[in-house]
Parts: sequence; C-alpha cells; structure tokens
Amino acid sequence: MLQRPSVIWQTIATPVMLMVALLAIAALSYQFGSRAFNRTVVEMFINIMVVVGLYVFVGNSGLLSFGHISFMCLGAYMTAWLTIPPVMKSITLKGLPTWLLHTKLSMWVATPISGVFAALFALVVGRVIMRLSGIAASIATFGLLGVVNNVYSNWDSVTGGQGSIVGTPATMNVWNGWLGAAVAIAIAYLYSISRSGLALRAARDEAVAASASGIDIVRERLVAFVVSAFIIGLAGALYAHFLSIVNPGSFYLRTTFITLSMLVVGGMYSLSGAVAGVVVISALIEVFRDLEKGVSLGGLTIALPNGVQEIAIGIITIVILMYLPTGLTRNREFSWRGWPLQRHLAQPVQTALKELN
Amino acid sequence: MTELLQIVFDALSLGSLYALGALGIALIFGVMRLVNFAHGDFIAFCVFAMLWPSINAAAIVFAGNLPFYLLIPLLLLVGAALSVLSEVIVFRRFRNANPATMMIASFALGFAIRNFLLMMYSSRPKSITLWPRLSLPVEVLGARIPMLQVVTIIITLVVLAALTVFLKRTRYGLEMRAAADNFTMARMLGVRANGVILLAFAISGMLAAAIGLILATNSGTADIGMGANLMLIAFIATVIGGLGSVPGAVAAGFLIGGASVVFQATLPHDARVFRDAFVYGAVIVVLLVRPQGLFAPKSAKQRV
Amino acid sequence: MRFTRILGVLAAASALWSTPTRAADEIVVGFATAASGFMQAYDKPAQDAALIRIDEINKAGGLLGKKIKPVFADTKTDQAEGAKAGLAVLDQGAELVIVSCDYDFGAPAALQAQSAGKVSFFLCAESIKAGIPGVGPYSFSGSVLAAVQGATMAEWAYKKKNARSFYRLLDSWTVYNKGICDGFDWMMPHLKDSALAGSDTFKNDDASIASQITRIKSLPKEPDAIMLCTMMPGAVSAIKQIRAAGIKSMILNGSGVDGSYWLNAVPDLSNFYVPVQASIYGDDPNPKVTEFNKKYKDVTGGDPSSQYVYPGYVLIDVWAKAVERAKTTDTEAVVAELEKMNNEATLFGPRTFSKDLHHQNQGRYLIVDTEQGKPKVVDQWTISEKIPVDYLVSK
Repeated sequence: MLQRPSVIWQTIATPVMLMVALLAIAALSYQFGSRAFNRTVVEMFINIMVVVGLYVFVGNSGLLSFGHISFMCLGAYMTAWLTIPPVMKSITLKGLPTWLLHTKLSMWVATPISGVFAALFALVVGRVIMRLSGIAASIATFGLLGVVNNVYSNWDSVTGGQGSIVGTPATMNVWNGWLGAAVAIAIAYLYSISRSGLALRAARDEAVAASASGIDIVRERLVAFVVSAFIIGLAGALYAHFLSIVNPGSFYLRTTFITLSMLVVGGMYSLSGAVAGVVVISALIEVFRDLEKGVSLGGLTIALPNGVQEIAIGIITIVILMYLPTGLTRNREFSWRGWPLQRHLAQPVQTALKELN
Repeated sequence: MTELLQIVFDALSLGSLYALGALGIALIFGVMRLVNFAHGDFIAFCVFAMLWPSINAAAIVFAGNLPFYLLIPLLLLVGAALSVLSEVIVFRRFRNANPATMMIASFALGFAIRNFLLMMYSSRPKSITLWPRLSLPVEVLGARIPMLQVVTIIITLVVLAALTVFLKRTRYGLEMRAAADNFTMARMLGVRANGVILLAFAISGMLAAAIGLILATNSGTADIGMGANLMLIAFIATVIGGLGSVPGAVAAGFLIGGASVVFQATLPHDARVFRDAFVYGAVIVVLLVRPQGLFAPKSAKQRV
Repeated sequence: MRFTRILGVLAAASALWSTPTRAADEIVVGFATAASGFMQAYDKPAQDAALIRIDEINKAGGLLGKKIKPVFADTKTDQAEGAKAGLAVLDQGAELVIVSCDYDFGAPAALQAQSAGKVSFFLCAESIKAGIPGVGPYSFSGSVLAAVQGATMAEWAYKKKNARSFYRLLDSWTVYNKGICDGFDWMMPHLKDSALAGSDTFKNDDASIASQITRIKSLPKEPDAIMLCTMMPGAVSAIKQIRAAGIKSMILNGSGVDGSYWLNAVPDLSNFYVPVQASIYGDDPNPKVTEFNKKYKDVTGGDPSSQYVYPGYVLIDVWAKAVERAKTTDTEAVVAELEKMNNEATLFGPRTFSKDLHHQNQGRYLIVDTEQGKPKVVDQWTISEKIPVDYLVSK
C-alpha cells in the first residue's frame, strides 16, 4: 500500500516560510535599523504572538473573543512579580506572599511560567464560559476582560493598581522577539494540524454535523482556549520585558480592538493571515508615523499634521475590508510553489444552513 | 423607605440612559446583524457639533447657543445625518460580510471619528452650559431627584412608547420587523432593503444625539470619551436582552443600570472600587443561565 | 511577499537617516512629549512654558555660554512610542530629556534617558513614582506631589475655616486622584478633634453619582468639608451633582480642577477651594507671575488654561541653575547640584530636592476660592510637616 505523506510533511511549508520571513525582517532590522526601529520590530513580534494566539481560538472555533487580552495582562503581571528585584517589590507590592517577594527569576524561566499561569486561569474560566455559543460567548469573554481589568486596576497592594509597576528587566531585543514569535507560530501550527484542531474547525463550519459525529464541542473549545491563553500569556511576559513597566490600561479595550483588527484584516481563519495582518498594519502605522515626523525632499520638509496617523489607519482598515472582506490572505495559507505534494490547510466551508446567531 | 425610593430612582435614571443606548444598538443589530461600535463616537460627535473646532481650553459654543426648540431638532438631524452617511459610505459594502468583519469595520470607523475629533478639539474637556435649571432637584415622595433625571426617564419612556407604536402599527415598522426576522424573505416579499436599513440608522443616529444631549447637560462638559463607556454597556445590554429583541435590550439596559446602582449602594466600602467587576460577573452569570438572552425572539431558537 | 518588501524599504530608509551633527556651541534639550493623542492637551501648555524659559535664557546669553537647542519627538500618548521618542531625542544629543506630564506615559522615555545616563525631568507629573522610585537616580519632576495638595487643603480648612468633620470622596480612576486622598489620609490624624464623617468612591466616567450623594445626604449632619479627590472631565459632573443636591459643604480639591474654563457648567459655584502653585487669574501676590501670564499669552495666543503650565517653566529654571553651578552638563555633577537645592526660590514656589526625593513633599500653595463662579486667591498655605517619603512610596 502506498504510504501517504503525513500531514506535517504536506503543510509544514507554511510555518517554516513565516518563520524565515520574520527572521529576515529581524536580521535586516538588526543590521540596518536605528534603535528606535528595532523597538518597532520587537513590538511587531509581540503583536504577532498575540494575534497568533487569538487566531488559535478565534480562527479555529469561529467565536470572536474580546477577552484574550486579559491573558496578556495576567502573563505580564506574573512576569513582573517574578522578575522585579525583591528590594523594589517589597516597597510597592506589600500584598504579595513572602515567597513571591523574595523570588527573582530570569526572563527565560519566568516567561514560560507566566504562560502556564495564564493557561491555568483560562482552564478554570473556560470550563464555565465555553458552554456558550456565538455572540453570548463573545460577550462572556468581554465580561472576563472587564473583570480582570477592574481587579488589576484596583487591587493596589498586589498589582500596584492603575499605576505602572516598574522594574522588569529590559531584556528584549529583536532576536528574543523573533524567538517568541517563532514559538507562537510553532504552537499554533501544531495545534491546528492536531486532532483537536481539526475537530474544532469541523464544529466551526457545521456544528450540528460535528456534534452528530461525536465531537465534544465544549471540550475542543476549551483546549483551544487554553492553548491560546498560553501563547498570549507568553506575549504578555515579553511585553513586560519590552517596556519595563506594566500597567493595566495597556491590556484593555484599545489593545483588544487593535489586535482583533489585525487578525481580521489579515484573514481570520488562517495562520498566515494572523501574521500578515500584523506585519501589514505595523508597516502602515510606521509609514504614517514617519510621514508625521516629516520627510525631507531637497530643502523642504513635508509633514502630515499630528494625529493623522490614527485616522489614516482607521480609514485604510475599512478600505481593505471593503475590497477583501475575508482579509488579505483570503483565508488561505502561504506555501512554497515548488513544495512537493503541497496541500493547503483547510479553508472554512460555506454552509447552506447559516447559524442564526 | 425614602432611601429605598432614592435607590429606585437612581437606578431608573441610570438604567434609562443605558436603555436609550441599548435601543440605538439593538435597532441596527436587528436589521443588519451589525454591532455598531462607532455608536459611542456618534454620541461624542453630536455633542461636539455644538462647538466650533478649537484646541483652546475654553469652548467656543456656536450652535449650543441656540434656543432649545432649534437646538434639539438640529442635533437630532446631525445625528441622523452622520449615521446615514456612515451607512451609505461604509456599512453598505459590508452587508454580506461575516459578523467579525462588520464589527471591525465599525470599530475602525469609530476610531477614525474619535481621532478626528481629537485632532480638531484636543483632549481637554470643554465646558458647555445647557439648561442649567434642569440640574435643580425635584422632590418626589420624599426622595430628591434632579429634574434632569426625571426628564431622562420620561424621554426614555416616551421614545419607547413611540417606537413600539411605530414598529407595531405603521407600515415602515412592520417592514423593519420583517427585515429583522428574516432579511432575505422580507426582500423577496417586496420590502426595500436599503430603505429599511437607512431608517434604522437614522433612528439610531437620532437616539445617539439624544443621549449626547442628556450626557452634556448632565456633566456640563464635552469630552472625546463621552459615550464610550455607555456604548459598551449598551452592547452588553443588547446581548443580554436577547439579540434582535428591542424591548429586551431596553429591559436589559434598565437591569444593568439597576445592578450598578444597587452594588454601589450595598457593597462594603473597600469592595466598592470593584463594583464594575461585580457587574461584569453578573453579566456572565446571566449569560450562563440564559444564553439566548432574557427576551429572545422566537426566531433566535434553533430548530435543530 | 509585498509586505516584506515594504519593511525592507523602511529598514533601508531608516539606515539612510543620518544623525544630525551636534554643533559644539549648543546644549541640546530633548522634549519626548505628546504632540498628539490625549496627553497633548496637558503636555503642550507646560512645554510652551518651558520653551519660554529656554528663550529667556538664550536671550540672556545662554547656558555656560552656549545656546540651548530644543529638539522634539512625539510620544503619541503611547507607551511603546514613548520609549522610541526618548531614544530619538537621545540620538540627537540631548543632555536633558523632558517627558510627559503623567508618570505612566512619561516613564518609558525617562527610563531610556536613565539607561543612557542622562537627566530626565517630568513636565508636571505628581506621582511619587516620577523620580527615583519609578525611574532611577537621575530622574526628577517639575511639579509638586499630589499628596501635598490633599494634605494642604485638609490642614488649611481645619486651621483657617474651622472644619472639623470631613467627607472623603475618591474618584478611583487614576493614581493622581488616589495621591490626593493619600495626602488627606496622612494629614487627618494630625488634626486634633477632626473626624472623618464618611468615605465613598466613584469612577470618573460614571453618568451619575446619585448613590454616592444619597450617602452624604443621609448623614446626621452635613459634613463641614468634602475632600473631592478627582480630576477632569468627570469632576465637573460630580461637582454639579453635589451642589444640585443641595449639599452646601466646603468642597476641597486637588489642583487638577484648576482653571475657569469649566466654571460655566456649574453656574454660581461657591464655597469651592483649589490649591495652586501660582494664579492664572491675574491676582497672584507676585507681580512677576502676572507678567509671565502676559508673556505666555503673547507667545501662545491664549491665557494659561490652568496652573499646570507653570512646572514646565520651573523645571528648566532649576536645571539651568544646577548646570551653571556645576559648570558642566555632566549628569552626576548636575544631579549633585540639584540635590543640594533647599527651598530654592523659583517664580512659582520654592523647590527642594535631596538624595532621597527628587520631588516636592511640601509646597507653598495659594488657595483659590470660587464664589458665585468667580475664582480668587484668598490665602497661602504650606503644610507644617513634610509628608514622609516612605508613606508615599508604600501606597
């Protein structure tokens, strides 16, 4: 009997290409970019991690989640608690348990722990929320975001309240950033070719038939929820190291909507879409910011008025979605033309019976 | 007894504000399955329409100086116009897109509007004086309520009554309800899609202007972030009330307003800062108990 | 792929930007502040005042014989962008990095300055973190701690207005508000026979604070004073509702509500007190302040909107003095001179810095009383004791 090539062999072109492209960006930036530009690239890599994490849940389950940024908050604060020097912690965060006050771990140890912390929280919360479907689930995740934000903004003795807590070592550079993005892409890829991922996508496209085929939809959603929380928790940890200060306001509505926009603009149902959306929108933001700073042509400096960048991004997002409603990648994945026996990761099926919610 | 009455009135007035917001969102959701995240920014835009663009600290009020019988219709018109314009320029292209795309498009529109206002007016809140006598309290059965709150409650009830009559008794209302129930079928039976949707947007825009007026009169300031908080609660209320059900959205708005006031009044002092966490927790509980919403219309039930 | 190309172009373009050469006869001062986004309304006035002082110094012969050159980078009210703005001004040779009016938005740029070994100054941040605890040993703030405002109002109302029962109403929206109330909390035990009649919280964007007002009204006796720890924009609504409910108590505030631009919204407001570093209303006891207000209006086209204009002027003033005394812009020397300053006189109040505190935990405040909607300076107050740094940092 002819051995059929495994799924991995058929689809690995996608994550590999994505990782190589990002590595190229990192290398170019490191070699030629100013310090400020390198920071932009690191920020982009962290956004890639977040959006890829969002894709793992939103893309595979078809449920829009507004609450995932709360996992970023959890991850960032856990890393802050673990890596800030004990001297600084004892003054401002008196409510922390003593063993935590005396801990100081390196970024390489603290980051996975933060991811696991976020994942555990998602496990507990997800058991409750994942029973919901459609927009009810989306609102429940919104409620989750509100609760986490409210608690972190007001539990002063443990989180420092709305004020930023400072002291997380600034250990991020483009290579760490790339590593984070690559890990996120790898996890997302492995999840999507796994049995659980396939089952969840089946449920996304045709819930009734999937359920009739024996798929436990709630369980599969929970798995996706936890995996996505882990990735986003990692992203939060790296973000803390990037800025050196953590503040609950950076993990609330603005970040939620910007990352969701990046996902939808890139292509909600594909991994390449997640990455492409972040890269394109980050590039556009950077171009407009530079235009605001002013471009010298000859002796003249032409500059856009301050504040135009945000308006332009809003308008461009609308225009892109108008002409490409399924996103830039149209829900397909990247692959190498010459790759033997290439097979795309499955696109969402257009169903006859539309879900009424 | 007076205290209880006071809490009831406080809950009613906050709830009616949320209910008005929820109405605006529910109307559009009903016909188009679109959650309009730009609604909060429509509210802010209507308020700023009263001021001349300037980044100085003091507001240069131009339209805001008009007498009330000119100002109110003018603002309602501005709200309707903005809403209808957004429909024609932006949302029309998204009629057949999936819900996530529509949501992100509406968010991007709101984002653009907000930053436009920011550029024109700067973020410092501007003071507006509108009918200061409305802030004076009125004694009702021993409880003291600012007249403005009474006006808000009355306006909400009047608007609700008017809308109910409109939806149940007039032809256009019937068309809107049909479109909300099953858009494709309604079109096949002769309902003009564009007409119905434009009407929904126009009414929603007028509601946004009304809310803007109430907020501006209550707080005395025009601020970019006005309406953002309200929009979120309105969105949640629409879903809890049962998507596609207009009376459900209103009821849910009153409920959330009530819950917020009750928590504020009854939580122990140290827990009061966590009031919003309790409200959101209550929302999650409601969704777990009745995921289709409190007053889900029959069309929301799945047949299989 | 098209976007990699876009990024490649960007990377190449950024490599082509050359660092502008720094003239040897110039001292560069970098402003990493918000020129867009919501912090712009708060950063710009203080920045304009700082530029006025720089202009004055340059006209008087410069600093150490060299002209001061201001350079700018926009933080866009975004923390990540703030760090880049800090780097941008540092790359242009800034000796002093001036950052946003708020700790959260100014810290990223200040941290960059700290790592690069340069002095950073917060334009008007009033959190204890804007300085050593939140950035590092080279960081300072041009303004006075929020806690001092709360403590000043409590002590002044107690001593001068015989207020004995106080109600504490906190807007839990920002750290600034909590700072005011922290100062109030610290001062209360020092005031004999004073009592806290009650305490409550609200959020700045609450559409209505009716339940909070109900609580105040249900007290057996109206409190003598309400300590209102809040700021714009929600402050206006709260004040309106308090007065509309018929509560006649004194309302004590932080400096955040200074300014007459919002008074139209609460007609005939009375019994309302605000602490300010200097008066924007033209009735400051120091005539030079009124002169400055006029100059500010000539340069920017409008009167100062609030007292938060003044710390921008003060910070350039004290930094320039420190540089003159140290005879160099070298960071360690300048910081040492700054830390020697004790009650150093400036146009807008004395400034004291020390090895433990690069902020003001005591300050001379003018008390502005608003009667019938008209604000007027009525008194001047300095709290009798400095607020301990440990207390503030631990909050």
